[in-house]
Amino acid sequence: MRDKNVWRRLAHALSSLELTLACLALLMVLVTACTLLQVPLGTHRAVQSTVRSPLGGLVGGVLLANLLFAQFRRLEFSRRKLGLWLAHLGLALLFVGEFGTALFQVESQMPLEIGQTKDYSEDDRRTELTATDASDPRFDVVTAIPDSRLKRGGEIDAPALPFTLSARRYHENAELGMRRPSDPPSEATAGIGPNLLVRPAPPSTSDDARDSAAILVEAKSRGGRGLGTFWLSSALGAPQGFSLDGRTWRLALRPRRYRLPFSLTLEEFRHDVYPGTDIPKNFSSRVRLRDPGRGEDRAALISMNNPLRYGGKAFYQASFGQNDRLSVLQVVRNPGWLLPYAACALIAAGILLHFGLKLRASLGARP
Amino acid sequence: MTRQARAAFQTALAVGLLAAAWPLAAPPPSDWTLDVLGRLPVLEGGRVKPLDSFARSSLLMLSGRQSLASGGRSAGAMEWLADALFRPERADARAVFTVDDPDLRGLLGLPEGPERRFAYWRVEPRRAEVRAQAESAEKVEAARRSRFQAAVLNLDRRLELYERIQNTLMAAGAGDPVAELAAFRRAMPAALRAVHAGGAASASDRRAVRALAGMLERWRFLARAAAFKPLPPRGGQPDDAWSSVGETLLRPPDGTDPHPGLAAFALMGRAYRLGRPAPFEAALREYAAWVARTRPADVRRAAAEEAFNRAQPFVSGMALYLAAFLAVCAGWATRRPEAEAAARGLLLAAFAAHTAGLAARMLLQGRPPVTNLYSSAVFVGWVGAGLGLLAERARPGGFAAAGGALLGFCTLLIAQHLAASGDTLEMMRAVLDSNFWLATHVVTVTIGYASTFLAGALGAAWVLRRHWVRRPDPESSRALASLAYGVVAFSLLFSFVGTMLGGIWADQSWGRFWGWDPKENGALLIVLWNAIILHARWSGLARERGIMVMTVFGSVVTSLSWFGVNMLGVGLHSYGFMDKAFWWLAAFVAGQLALMVLGLLPPRFWEARRSS
Repeated sequence: MRDKNVWRRLAHALSSLELTLACLALLMVLVTACTLLQVPLGTHRAVQSTVRSPLGGLVGGVLLANLLFAQFRRLEFSRRKLGLWLAHLGLALLFVGEFGTALFQVESQMPLEIGQTKDYSEDDRRTELTATDASDPRFDVVTAIPDSRLKRGGEIDAPALPFTLSARRYHENAELGMRRPSDPPSEATAGIGPNLLVRPAPPSTSDDARDSAAILVEAKSRGGRGLGTFWLSSALGAPQGFSLDGRTWRLALRPRRYRLPFSLTLEEFRHDVYPGTDIPKNFSSRVRLRDPGRGEDRAALISMNNPLRYGGKAFYQASFGQNDRLSVLQVVRNPGWLLPYAACALIAAGILLHFGLKLRASLGARP
Repeated sequence: MTRQARAAFQTALAVGLLAAAWPLAAPPPSDWTLDVLGRLPVLEGGRVKPLDSFARSSLLMLSGRQSLASGGRSAGAMEWLADALFRPERADARAVFTVDDPDLRGLLGLPEGPERRFAYWRVEPRRAEVRAQAESAEKVEAARRSRFQAAVLNLDRRLELYERIQNTLMAAGAGDPVAELAAFRRAMPAALRAVHAGGAASASDRRAVRALAGMLERWRFLARAAAFKPLPPRGGQPDDAWSSVGETLLRPPDGTDPHPGLAAFALMGRAYRLGRPAPFEAALREYAAWVARTRPADVRRAAAEEAFNRAQPFVSGMALYLAAFLAVCAGWATRRPEAEAAARGLLLAAFAAHTAGLAARMLLQGRPPVTNLYSSAVFVGWVGAGLGLLAERARPGGFAAAGGALLGFCTLLIAQHLAASGDTLEMMRAVLDSNFWLATHVVTVTIGYASTFLAGALGAAWVLRRHWVRRPDPESSRALASLAYGVVAFSLLFSFVGTMLGGIWADQSWGRFWGWDPKENGALLIVLWNAIILHARWSGLARERGIMVMTVFGSVVTSLSWFGVNMLGVGLHSYGFMDKAFWWLAAFVAGQLALMVLGLLPPRFWEARRSS
């Protein structure tokens, strides 16, 4: 007879092992798809369209619910089952950790030339539009508008600016070229935009290539006077802008920056190779960490497999360039980075305990 | 065990061990003391190794083999290398370059037909064309190269390696090396006088400058071209300051004697060209004694590695595994306990040879067992065979022994093919240079591969047994199933812990625990599949037959994770082992799937067979 109580029926379904198997099988399909799609799409997009897609989140969520329901409804709490309890709780923790990573982890880069000091890192998957008041030769005043706002389009009214901006078009990736007379007229009216031909391009699929975003933006004074329409792109270096009420304004699109409350200076970069070859043996960056707020001023060595962890962020040796004069650090903020460690310890201990007990029983029962 | 069975076990073990040890005791085949030359340490690929290792890995890269058939007998790698170093014109006539691609053969004007390896002189007329084609292929991204482009690039690299070898100790085609060295020493003071005197130099001094300029030009070329650095650093020089002949000639250290290697190699070169073994041996032995005094540690290590190369423990292991597997089959066919005991003896001998080889590699490299794809194959086989032996002890019947032997044989065979890509004791790239993680993550995850394969082999045995054994024997079937269950549990533990340790390593080195990269995903798939098997068993959704069929699929998942993902980035157009391996992998997967279908056929299928 079917249970009339919907909740009990739902709980029963959620704690069934058939559901576990179905979810695990679906997860295998997703992971396989994620692996195969990396060839045409590149890692980032393959992950976003499979395991980190809504479907992936759903499978993960159902599996987590299934795990918890099965655990508390079906599994007896006894010493015999202690291993299973530990392993499954560890697994739940691992899931929570992966969800946390998907939601909270922020990755960015910090390219440093030897001698250079930076107190920010850059996210080259996101952009920001900056309006810089460059009137004072001693300092710039920068207002940054994140790409999430730019992509929505429409009029952007930042209180700090004496003008408004309307984002007319935003391309995640664009090819920029010089406009020839035979090309259609440019939509830009100021800056170098009129000479440019901007064509939207599909997002790059290679893991090494980076997209160069472009935005068509129109500036208007608060009185409604047009100040020009600009093509801005992270691939453009030349300054573009206008004057308004005696102040000089510059507009640019650049990789999104994250400020750090401390700074790093690259003092030395080493790229050791094995003798007589160009097989890399080690990469390392010696940096000076200065944090006036906490009174820190010390040297730190970042090398392969040895990151610097400071201020809730970890700095890894990621890449290098310019004949070993440039070191690129990967900057990762993941508040839940310790969760997987705890989860793994729990699961390993659990499996070991469970199968250890079983093996002992099985060998003991042998005739 | 009966007395006969024990005797069979002991005989098989002893014969197996003796057979494995034989290559160490066998005398060197040549009268040129090439074994002494092969033990000389040189610097190549970032590490000091015996010349013998360089000879073998180079010949493997050029031709896919460690020895050559020449004039009805087999010539070793050192014989070929000595020719290439000292008598290039004879080496040019040896058929070492494997050219399979039909378009490439067309380009080179080589005949279609069964002949696969060609001598350098047959390729040489089109050398410039090969270089030009390779240059344009280099501009194409590796994954997008056509089959022809990959093949021509590959051939160009092999030709370049060969040409560099010829120009390592003496310029290819140069005359008498001893006379040249002497002329250099004679000309040096006169040339220096001429340089200092400027316009006022005597005519003979100016001639000396011209002669010297020609030699310098050749040696500058030698310094660039050398395939390895044969001359060890001398007192006062840093430990890794090995140099090539050209470099040493161009930069004579102030106030010291010339490097003894220069004269030694020149003397050896002359004697070799003239076909005189005695002076060759004298120069070689004197120089080897000097090297042994200067670099005792390098010489000991090189000698040990040369002995390891000669012993070829994995080749003997492979043969013994095959013998053990055949003996198990013979035991099943004849139901004689002696055959089963002999199989165990052979398996133990194979495992011993395998273990010795693995241990020797670890000692030579100073690293945990798995450092690259080659060593992962060796290690998977070792774990599989070891687990097979243990499981056979716990549950006799030959299944575990057969599975272990088959796994050992297949993985060593794969390793043999993987070795063709170069030095298997290569140096570790920066991110991998961590013995701690190599020892924990890589070893654990590889044990996971091995045991999943073993479970798959047990599943396959179960399926085949159900099909071919005429008398129903549910007792053995159940024993096999419970054995497989234990192995799956073991696999889950190791593949899970290994995968998670990999995550922790990734977190330490790249700042992310999990990046969904193909290798990580492959490992995760193995974990998931093992978890599915265990949960299916626990829920009762799959019973004995279902579980055994699922373990067979475990082999498919593991083979794809282990090798399949390495082929993803490479693309299907690549040349060399991975290209062929793709079809082998496809065949393996197809075979396993066929086994699964066979296992899933309804019981009536078997009964009908039995009654007929």
